[in-house]
Amino acid sequence: MTAPGGYLTISVALFCIGLYGLVQRRSLIAMLIALELMLAAASLNVVALTALTAGAQHLAVTRQIGVGHGSSVGQVVALILIGVAAAEAAIALSLFVAIQRYASTINVEDLSELKG
Amino acid sequence: MTGPTAAALLAQFAPLAACAAVLLGLRTRARAAQAVAITGMAVSFAASVWLVAAVAIPDRSLLAQTVFLPVDAAHALAFGVLLDPLSTVMALVVATITLAVMVYSTGYMHDDPGVARYFGFLALFGWAMQGLVLSANLLQTLVFWELVGLASFLLIGFWFDRPAPAAAARKAFLMTRVGDVGFLLGVLLLIRALGLATIPDVVAAAGVGGGLSPRFVTITAALLLMGAIGKSAQGPLFTWLPDAMEGPTPVSALLHSATMVAAGVYLVARLHPFFLAAPVVMHWLLIVALATALATATMAMVAGDIKRVLAYSTISQLGYMFMGLAAGSTAAGFFHLTTHAGFKALLFLSAGIFIHHAHTNEMREINARDPLAQRAGVIGLVAGSAALAGIVPFSGYFSKEAILASLGAGAGWPVVALAYLGAGLTAYYAFRMVFLTLVPAPAPRQPHGGHLVRPGAGERAMRVTVLVLAALTLVLGYLGPFFGARLSPGEAARGAFEIGGGAVAALALVGAGIGLAWYEFGRRGAARIGFAERVPALARFFGDNWYLDRLYRATVIRWATALSRAAHWNDERIVNGATDGLANGAVGGGRILSLVQNGYVQAYLAVVVTVIAVLAAVLARVGGVR
Repeated sequence: MTAPGGYLTISVALFCIGLYGLVQRRSLIAMLIALELMLAAASLNVVALTALTAGAQHLAVTRQIGVGHGSSVGQVVALILIGVAAAEAAIALSLFVAIQRYASTINVEDLSELKG
Repeated sequence: MTGPTAAALLAQFAPLAACAAVLLGLRTRARAAQAVAITGMAVSFAASVWLVAAVAIPDRSLLAQTVFLPVDAAHALAFGVLLDPLSTVMALVVATITLAVMVYSTGYMHDDPGVARYFGFLALFGWAMQGLVLSANLLQTLVFWELVGLASFLLIGFWFDRPAPAAAARKAFLMTRVGDVGFLLGVLLLIRALGLATIPDVVAAAGVGGGLSPRFVTITAALLLMGAIGKSAQGPLFTWLPDAMEGPTPVSALLHSATMVAAGVYLVARLHPFFLAAPVVMHWLLIVALATALATATMAMVAGDIKRVLAYSTISQLGYMFMGLAAGSTAAGFFHLTTHAGFKALLFLSAGIFIHHAHTNEMREINARDPLAQRAGVIGLVAGSAALAGIVPFSGYFSKEAILASLGAGAGWPVVALAYLGAGLTAYYAFRMVFLTLVPAPAPRQPHGGHLVRPGAGERAMRVTVLVLAALTLVLGYLGPFFGARLSPGEAARGAFEIGGGAVAALALVGAGIGLAWYEFGRRGAARIGFAERVPALARFFGDNWYLDRLYRATVIRWATALSRAAHWNDERIVNGATDGLANGAVGGGRILSLVQNGYVQAYLAVVVTVIAVLAAVLARVGGVR
């Protein structure tokens, strides 16, 4: 397995672990952590794909989107994603605090007021 | 506006003003209401007297009509007055009887809590009836015709808190509506053909070269006659009238014997040349009227309720009026209408005196409560019965003779023979009533107990009214030549006391009828049971309107009820059911779908991821979106 392929494998594994955690865990904080894992998987995916397409100048798609050898687009996107994740975490945590105050719990099984 | 027109308008609108004033302003003030209603009717009476003097006696004919709302060149709405001897005399009859009944009612309805409402309705009736009598075209006649029906409904159901009068009012209203459908159709046909249906135009159009085909005239006359038959309680549509006796007795005297039920007769007299242009219709009218007169005479022979006896005799006498008209004599039919209005109102009002004192309508019970103490009532009942039976100096004799004579001239001998038989039956049931009510029964009599009403202040009004009407029965009979000269100028004039073979035969039959009544009810030691009552089956048959009501219940009413049930079912199940089903389906569907919304965010998430995964798999398999 080449190195970028290994990155992608790890990325998929991370995403699946995050998804599993998001669906499985009942605590909002645990779900947030799982969500962060999924974001990290996405960031890793972007960086890995940028590196993967470095030697693929002959592909029309890589020319078209302006990436290629030496491009730092992947890194930039990953950095932005980290920033987004941080902002998201701040917002989500403040929401969790509000929910905790309102419903005295952050267990999602107890937060089902929109049940039909 | 000429004098007679103004008087005619006054005769109509004085009662209307009184009615509006009473019903809108004086509902709680009984004495003021009585005064206003009687004043309104007295004005109408005075105007009618003047009209008779100005129009009927010089034998003039006037038509004043305003046309408005023209629909096109030929069609419009019109209202007006038609003044000739027929309408003005009828207006005077209506005004006289209405006024008499109002005066009488001040005594009879003295302690009724709804007396103001009662007088308001009486004034309403006075307006409607005067409007009907004086109207110049048939559409206007129809409008007042229905108003008269409304007044009748309100007055029959005056004691609407009791079930029997309420049911009787409904029955009267619905049964007369059956005939009115025909009247409406006839008027509409005439308006379509002529534009306005002004009465003289209608009459002229039916004549020779008048422009209407004989077939059209026959159909229209039959339709108009349906209305007359319903209103005048003839033929198959008479069973409402005996039930209408549930109303107060003065109302029975006014509407259901003297004036309103005569409206049908008046209509036929009004359009008499038109009807004569349809000989088939007149032939059937003769048969229907004869059958009705005889059938209801048998019913009157077994009835025990004094008002029902009078109701059946009213139907029977209306039959005689129709027979006179059908045989071709306007004068005879209308003459009998006039005399009948007088003596039948008298009979009802006299009966009302007894009912007022005995608190019962049953003749045998009245008999047990000292009826002879009511001297005015006794005089009225005897004089009225003598007129009804047709005894020589009383009014009924002359008019019945006129009818029998016109039948002799215009109908076949079987009809004449049966009409004479009917005259005998009339005498029999009239004097059965007199003997049964007045001749003291051998049974132990109730003492003149304290529960009986002591003569009160209102009694005098009742007594005076009855005595005035009793005097009228001696006078009205001499009007025959007056009517003959004006209404049927072609007929040979007959003197009041001209005794021919017909008159002798009629008097002999009347004597036989009275003799039979005396033998069965009047003489000392009589069984007081009539020959018809001895046969139980016959008594039941006669007493139950010849089972006509049962027949209607078993057929027409049943069918109509089934139809309305079906319509109701259709409305409930099909029409409402469709919308209800739609709404319930939407609600139920929503309930089922809402189960999906289980409120667990992770379940939603799982669904989202699964769907995306499946879509991705499918897209990968088919090679992307194309």
